[in-house]
Amino acid sequence: MNVFWWTSGHLGWGVFSLTVFTGIWWLFFDLCWRLLAIRIGRLLALMAIGWMLGIGCILFGFYLAS
Amino acid sequence: MMLLIIQGAILSLLIAAIVLWGAYFPYPSPLVRRWLSPGKRWPDSQIRLWLKNGKFQQAYLSYFYRDPERTPPLGNSILAPADGLVTSAEVRDGVRYLVIALSFWDMHVQRSPVSGSVVKVESKGKDYMDGEGRVFAFLRDKPCPVQKRVVFSTDVGEIAVRLITSLAARRIEIWVQEHEVIVRGQRIGRILLGSTVVLELPATISLNVQVGERVKAGETVVAREMSSA
Repeated sequence: MNVFWWTSGHLGWGVFSLTVFTGIWWLFFDLCWRLLAIRIGRLLALMAIGWMLGIGCILFGFYLAS
Repeated sequence: MMLLIIQGAILSLLIAAIVLWGAYFPYPSPLVRRWLSPGKRWPDSQIRLWLKNGKFQQAYLSYFYRDPERTPPLGNSILAPADGLVTSAEVRDGVRYLVIALSFWDMHVQRSPVSGSVVKVESKGKDYMDGEGRVFAFLRDKPCPVQKRVVFSTDVGEIAVRLITSLAARRIEIWVQEHEVIVRGQRIGRILLGSTVVLELPATISLNVQVGERVKAGETVVAREMSSA
C-alpha cells in the first residue's frame, strides 16, 4: 500500500494516476455537458459509469503490476 | 526527485484547469471554448450580463466585429441585407416587409440588397425597446425604436433597408451617403449587437425565402431577378 501512495521519493503511481484521471474526467464531463444534447441525469449516469470503469482499470493495472 | 517535480507540474496544471473551470462556471472555461459553437461559447445569459455591466470579453468582441468578405451571386436578384433569421414577410399598403432578426452571434455588417443609388438616409424613433422590431417596423408615424432607413432607387422602384435597434443594440453606423451609387452586396452599415433589419420591397416582387429560414448578407437571394415590368 505504501507503494500506492508514495514510492522512491515521489508520489505513488497509483494515487497519481487516480488523481489525474479524475481531474481530466471532470473536465471531460463539463465538455460533454456543453457539447451534447442529452439529459443531465443520463449524462451523469454515463459519466459515473465511465469514471468507475477508468478507476477500476487503473486499480486492476496497479494490482497486476505489483 | 525529478519524477516528483514532473508529477507536481502535471498536478499543478490540472488544478489550474479545475480552478479556471470553477471561476467561469456556469459559463465555459477558456480551455474548452474553442470546441464550442459561438452560441455555447458565449451563452445568451452571459452576453446579457455583459450588457448590464458594460464589460465584454475581448474574444467575444473580436468575434462580434468580424466582417467577412461575401461574394454576391451573378445576376440582378435581390440579396439579403443582413445575416439572421427571417421572422416575417408581411405585405402592408403595397410594401412587403421582410424582417430579419439578428442574434448576438450573427455577423452584424449590413450589405446592399441591390445596385442603384442611395436616395436618402432617414433617422427614425427615439426609444429603445425589445420585441425584435417586428411590429414596430410598420409604425411609421408612431414612436418606434431608434432606427435608420436607407432608401435605394432601382429599376423596379424604391427599395429600403431599415436598421433597427433594440434594448441591447443601441448604436447604428451607416457607411453610405445620399446620392451615392452602390453595387449589390456593398457594405452599407452595422448595428452594434443583436437587433433587426427590415427589407422593404414592392409587394409585386415574389420572395425566394420563407419565414424561419436563415439568410446571409450579400449572398442569399431573397427575391428573384429584378425586372422593370
